[in-house]
Amino acid sequence: MAEREQYKNRVELLQGTLDMLILQTLQWGPQHGYGIVQALRLRSGDVLQVETGSLYPALHRLERQGWVQSDWKQTESKQRARYYRITPRGKKQLASDLGRWERIVEAIGSVMYVKPEESES
Amino acid sequence: MKWFPSFGFQRRKRELQEEIDAHLHMAIADLVARGETPERARQAAAREFGNVPLVQDVTSDMWGQNSLEQFGRDIRYALRQLRKSPGFTITATTMLAVAICANSTVFSWIDGTMLRPIPGARETGDLVSLQRGERNFSPVPPFSYLDYRDLREQNHTFAGMLAYHHDWITLTGGAQPERVFIANVTANYFDVLGIKPVLGRFFLAEEETRPDAVPNVILSYSLWKTRYAADPAIVGKSIEIARHPVTIIGVAPEGFVGAMPGLRDDLWVTLDPLGTDAWRMTHRSGGAVWLNVIGRLRPGVSHGQAAQDLDTLMHHIVTAYPDDHLGDNRITLDPMWRSPFGANGFMAATLPVLLAFAGVVLLLTCANVATLTLVRFVSRRRELAIRQSLGANQIQLIRQMVLEGVVLSVASGALALALTTWTSKTFAWFFRAGSNPTTLNGSMDHNVVIGIAVFSLLAGILCGALPAWRSSHAPAVEVLKAESASISGGSRNRKLLSGLVVAQIALSLPLLLCSGLFLRTLRNLANANPGFDQDHILTATVGLNIAGYSHDEVQVIRRKILDRLSALPGVKVVSFTDWVPMTLTHKGEDAYPEGYVPHPHESLQVYHAEVSAQYFESLHIPILEGREFTPDDDERAPRVLIVDKTAAKRYWPGQDPLGKKLRIWGRFFTVVGVAKNSTHMLMNESPEPMVYMSFFQEGYETIVQVKTEGNPADFAPAVENAIHEIDARLPVFDVRPMRESTQLASSFAVIQSTLAGMFAAVGLVLAVTGIYGVVAYRTQMRTHEIGVRMALGASRVDVLRLVLLQGLWITGVGLALGLAFAMGLTRLIARLLYGIGANDPVTVSSVVMLLATMSLLACYFPAHRAMRRNPVTAIREL
Repeated sequence: MAEREQYKNRVELLQGTLDMLILQTLQWGPQHGYGIVQALRLRSGDVLQVETGSLYPALHRLERQGWVQSDWKQTESKQRARYYRITPRGKKQLASDLGRWERIVEAIGSVMYVKPEESES
Repeated sequence: MKWFPSFGFQRRKRELQEEIDAHLHMAIADLVARGETPERARQAAAREFGNVPLVQDVTSDMWGQNSLEQFGRDIRYALRQLRKSPGFTITATTMLAVAICANSTVFSWIDGTMLRPIPGARETGDLVSLQRGERNFSPVPPFSYLDYRDLREQNHTFAGMLAYHHDWITLTGGAQPERVFIANVTANYFDVLGIKPVLGRFFLAEEETRPDAVPNVILSYSLWKTRYAADPAIVGKSIEIARHPVTIIGVAPEGFVGAMPGLRDDLWVTLDPLGTDAWRMTHRSGGAVWLNVIGRLRPGVSHGQAAQDLDTLMHHIVTAYPDDHLGDNRITLDPMWRSPFGANGFMAATLPVLLAFAGVVLLLTCANVATLTLVRFVSRRRELAIRQSLGANQIQLIRQMVLEGVVLSVASGALALALTTWTSKTFAWFFRAGSNPTTLNGSMDHNVVIGIAVFSLLAGILCGALPAWRSSHAPAVEVLKAESASISGGSRNRKLLSGLVVAQIALSLPLLLCSGLFLRTLRNLANANPGFDQDHILTATVGLNIAGYSHDEVQVIRRKILDRLSALPGVKVVSFTDWVPMTLTHKGEDAYPEGYVPHPHESLQVYHAEVSAQYFESLHIPILEGREFTPDDDERAPRVLIVDKTAAKRYWPGQDPLGKKLRIWGRFFTVVGVAKNSTHMLMNESPEPMVYMSFFQEGYETIVQVKTEGNPADFAPAVENAIHEIDARLPVFDVRPMRESTQLASSFAVIQSTLAGMFAAVGLVLAVTGIYGVVAYRTQMRTHEIGVRMALGASRVDVLRLVLLQGLWITGVGLALGLAFAMGLTRLIARLLYGIGANDPVTVSSVVMLLATMSLLACYFPAHRAMRRNPVTAIREL
């Protein structure tokens, strides 16, 4: 049971991060799924490789939660694609996600850097 | 984007597919732009994207619980379970279908009669029928035109008020005269009902009382269809009614048949189309009281307020014209579903009781099916426990089990729906052709479909949810561990099973009792003496006045008919009347006995009939005092009257009625005889005063009454021919033995006993199979225990007693409860019985004996089987 709970936490954490990344990408303007993958890859210097198996469920979940909205539009190369757009509620969520993320980074950072001499390695 | 959360599922799937395709296309395009060959680009993009179906699958999970798919899975599972036990499925579906059909059939009859009192009319709930004087069964038209006008113009509570009077008439001008039912109506008649013409127009206000040289007439849809072949140019054409030319001005819409529930009008004309009824239009009593009145309440006005309003008005009228308004003048209002005018008075007394019976049958069936379901769930405990331990929660299990019940009840409902489309039309069978244009039948419309849905839902809940709820409470671990110990499913289930059997016996007892009472009522009615001898009597109606013959012609033809028919071989007596008793009709008139002071509000209405010489002789009605009519009591002679015992006693108690005078229609009649009481309408009526007038003085309709040797039906062609020899165009109708006509009076007793009998048979079968099933099942479950008992020395008789006692205990409790229930239910039907009390001890005890004996038999067979088992094999068996 304990294992399962831990696993759940991990999933939640990753989910939260992916949601935040997607919402941040959409802050720059409406984008389709492929565009989001490319944007994240570019911005992260090829480090973040989002799995489509995570991206699309996340997008659809965000839409159901009302944080993004989608419309079918033509791309510049005349390809019909589904564009996602961040909603005001999504922006609020992004702000809160970002706050949480910063706290986590700070907390992890304080664990990792403040007392390096006490670690085993 | 969430308009149709479940039904949009396919569309969402398609969109997701397109979204993924777009993703791949863009990826390929990018790769190609970077210099890859299209083939390699495609492969790379696909590799990078990953497993497309998997992505689709996990993405669609995000759309929320797809309840439709889940539901589909549950339905498929339920169907699979039901298919596994076809015996149960077929039995349960059939039983439920029969029970639901019993309810929906009676309901369709109620729907076709009481709920649609005036087919085609707008918002019949706002319509009320007006009755003046005592509320009574099958009243006569209560208002004069002038009284009606006063009420119509001075009231503050009605949006509209119509009046009508109807009668037979003949359509002449064709090869053979055709008898049709015609209504004289006020100009606002169609307007108040909310009916629009399909062709032409209806009457204008100024035409209401205006006589016309060529009167206007409106055709019913069916007459237009059948006689005039739906001629689209019919408006403006001239036809002939009773040898008068009339002009067709409009056609009523399909389905509309007039304002009196259960009767069919074919034609409508204004109140005094020929100007021959001027007297009627300008007087307030006697023959001028001829109109039935229906009002439409203003929105928001209650029946009480309206009755108050009219009562006040009527009081003013009575004060202004006291001589025209002796007797009771209080006004009562009835909604159309139980209006005493037309069929609904009878319907309202009969059909709700039958629906209550059908409801009991449905409950009984549900109890039976619930028993079967419970036994099934108990035997599936292991399967349920395994599913539970694999993670199914209790809600899911209950939903699954309830769903099986719902599938059953939906199937039964569908079956019942199919059956009801046919059974709803069987209502008309109960009404033999009579002297009225009766159109009574069930109707199969959305109300009935909704009704069936409600009955099915109820059945599904009762026989699915209850056992499901009980079964799901067993803890999985216990069930899996203790497989054999509590084999009958624990004491809780055992109690529920017994309870269900008790319910079945308790419900079937009142059904049997009521049907017993109804059957004995029917037998009593058939054997009862109506006070007249109706064997060997043939009656035939000759439509003289309705065919437009003049008064003098009518007198001549009547004499000729008398002579011709008397000369026929085998004919013993020929007489005339204008009314046949026990045909659900009567004529009523206010009569003012000379020297009699009525009590306040005492109704002075009497029944009357106009009969000729030898009428009493041919019906064997004894004349107690004075004399019978003679052929000399004609228009030249002084007006004479024969009263019955009831009238004599009421108006001249302790005096000699002979020579006394009675004022009717403003004329004085002298009593020359007193006849013995006989039945007028129904066997169980309370006697109403009856006066007979001489046919050749006051007779209106011409009904020939022929007393024959042998079977009267054999004389029908000869009688008809003899009349046609006088004048081939004479319309002759309703030629039939009197016994056939008077059966109309027991139509409702026949309906009641037929249905109650069928319901009771179903109830008996269900109760007996129910108790047999449960006792057999429980005995089988106790095989092991019985084996042990026998091995320890219990005798076969002990075993027999053990099993029998258990069944008899249930039966006893069921009978006791059933008796209490029956006492309540029979009170409902007390009014419908004849010659037997609602708690008739003979019927009660024979019904209890019947049920007890059948239950005993049902318990004996399993007990006998248990007794004969070999203890050794019994112990080995689990």
